[in-house]
Amino acid sequence: MRRNRKWVQIAILIAILLIGGYTIGSSLFAEESIPREGSEPPAFSLLGLDGKTYSLQDYKGRPVIVNFWGTWCDPCKREMPAIQNQYEKWKDRGLEVLALNLDESRVTVQSFVQQNKLTFPILFDKDLLMRDRYAVRSYPTTFFIDSSGKIAKIAQGEMTESFIEQTVRTILKE
Amino acid sequence: MIDNTKCECGHQNHEGTVLCESCGKPLHEDEDETKPLEMRYDGVARLSQRKNPSLLNRVWNFFSSVKVAIYLILITLVGAALGTVYPQENMFINIDPSVYYKETYGTLGHIYYLLGLSDTYGSWWFKALLVMIGASLVICSLDRVLPLYRALSKQQIRKHLSFILRQKVAYKGDLAQASASRGSSVDAGQWVEDAAKTLRKKGYRVHTDGTALLAEKNRFSRWGPYINHIGLIIFLLAVLMRGLPGWHMDKYMGFLEGETVKIPDTPYYLKNEQFNVTFYEEDEMTDRFRERGQTVPKRFETKAVLYVCEENCDNPAKEPVLKEVARHNILVNDPLEYKGLLAYQFDFALTPRLVSVSPMLRNKQSGQSYGPFTIKMKNPGVEYEAGPYKLVLKEYFPDFSLDEKGMPITVTNEPNAPAFVFSITGPGLPAEGVPYLYFPREADKAQFRQDEINGAVSQVWDISVNSMEDVEIANYTSYLNIRKDIALPYIWAGAAIFMLGVIIGTYWQHRRIWLRIDNGSELALGAHTNKNWYAMRKDVAWMLSQMGISVDPKQLSDEVKKA
Repeated sequence: MRRNRKWVQIAILIAILLIGGYTIGSSLFAEESIPREGSEPPAFSLLGLDGKTYSLQDYKGRPVIVNFWGTWCDPCKREMPAIQNQYEKWKDRGLEVLALNLDESRVTVQSFVQQNKLTFPILFDKDLLMRDRYAVRSYPTTFFIDSSGKIAKIAQGEMTESFIEQTVRTILKE
Repeated sequence: MIDNTKCECGHQNHEGTVLCESCGKPLHEDEDETKPLEMRYDGVARLSQRKNPSLLNRVWNFFSSVKVAIYLILITLVGAALGTVYPQENMFINIDPSVYYKETYGTLGHIYYLLGLSDTYGSWWFKALLVMIGASLVICSLDRVLPLYRALSKQQIRKHLSFILRQKVAYKGDLAQASASRGSSVDAGQWVEDAAKTLRKKGYRVHTDGTALLAEKNRFSRWGPYINHIGLIIFLLAVLMRGLPGWHMDKYMGFLEGETVKIPDTPYYLKNEQFNVTFYEEDEMTDRFRERGQTVPKRFETKAVLYVCEENCDNPAKEPVLKEVARHNILVNDPLEYKGLLAYQFDFALTPRLVSVSPMLRNKQSGQSYGPFTIKMKNPGVEYEAGPYKLVLKEYFPDFSLDEKGMPITVTNEPNAPAFVFSITGPGLPAEGVPYLYFPREADKAQFRQDEINGAVSQVWDISVNSMEDVEIANYTSYLNIRKDIALPYIWAGAAIFMLGVIIGTYWQHRRIWLRIDNGSELALGAHTNKNWYAMRKDVAWMLSQMGISVDPKQLSDEVKKA
């Protein structure tokens, strides 16, 4: 009887420890929902303008620029040639650019991309799910992800070419 | 100090016992021998009362304390109250809490956020408190219910005299006197048998042991508080389970009429087929409202269809295959419900928006019309056919404007001033096609001088709708509160069990009567209940009067002092 009672006590305390540990732990170590510099970028898998599917995970170990843009956004359009230049300059070193369009119509995006001769993948952020996931609140917003898969820099607003170059150099560990 | 826990009746009691587990004699000398006995848990020791506690026992003892439980509940109450100072993070559709609280509520708001109070109910310390209350509930209950169960299931019939007479309801008398007045002698054994019969009529379960008697009623009501604790524990576990991914969701989403929107983190899509709102008429409103000149909605409903994704759900390259699973006209407090998913009407906004147009291609010279063909404002298709003619969409500007260089641009992604650039081919037209700029809205057509831009082509060709029936407009955005709460049935079950426990413990009382006859005629009677002493005294007085002893119920509680 005494022995039994001790085991009941141990069992109950262990159960409480497990349930409590799990619930407290899950809120303690809950993934920070808003990506910040130093944190990991939320994964995505989106349809590209070219009909292929692009996943951020496919670029693991490579520096990636994730840019949120729209054709109705003037600063987004202005910085595009600079991004294109830097992409051409560093793509042999492994740099990838994923430009997430803010849920515009395909025709609209296509004509802009053709006019500006953009060669990096243009992705459709359908229903703006990734914009919300990345907590993007002003356009353009650009995430520079280094080869360790962490966000090295978040740039809000229009970027100059020298800023892009400088930031790309840091994520390329130049 | 080692307590001698052996009673004079020979029973070896557990450490911490107040009243001998067997005969009921108080184990400790009281200063006041006439004071009613402390009958809590029938005087048995709680599990946690033991000497030389080990670490395991110390933890157990901490949680078994009712005092600790009360402090835990008070701390939780204070914490929960703090969470109501500012709106919690999950109240907002899309904010960055690290910025929002500072901007909206100033430094105090920022401190509030930094302290983690902006998500009070999801914070680790709040959950830790809930877990500790749960632990305290389980351990407090077990600590008391097991010894109590043991004590109540093997009760001694013949109790110690001091136990019987120190009950709150007690009676002492000589049966010889009472029977002498009736001219008969007393047979103690017979008297007890008769008393047993009388008590059985009142629904007591009676056990006799020669000249001693134990009558008991509604013992199950003692389990009420523990049943109610089981309910609370289920309730608490269910609340904790809501924290598991996929168990709980509470989102606010906007649904434009005609739009099918994916509900994030679920396989569901919801379509707002139509939104209807009726407003109060002038004469239905109070003067105060009339003065303000406001329109007040009377009733609004969303004709909603819920779809579940069956194929291509995570494949962005393909359109998902949807299957309708539910359809409901959502009204305030009348949600769409499907497998634990609830969509409540929350708000609406007038957001008139062009959805599609179905114009015709016209040859002004021949007067012939071709089509119609439907152009969507969101993701329009590229190729259209109008009779023998083919239109290829080259460019689309949802909110057309001209930049400083005179180049066409779109200023937003909303179809406020949509413009389509087609290339038309077909009979009588050059193979490379003729370009044609089309504004569906008449106002834009005039403002941006569609015909001038199109030049010679507009002399022959025109794209236009026949009537407003060929224009699809979505007027309203309906805001719905999407909720999912898988834990809800468990919460209800917990609440129901809690209520059952409360009812058992409230509407029934555990009543017990002990009596013994010593020396042939000395009657000692004690009675105990956990509540409703009035009825307990009445029961005893009624029994005694049936046995020929007339007592005023009120007197019974005073007997202790006389003894």
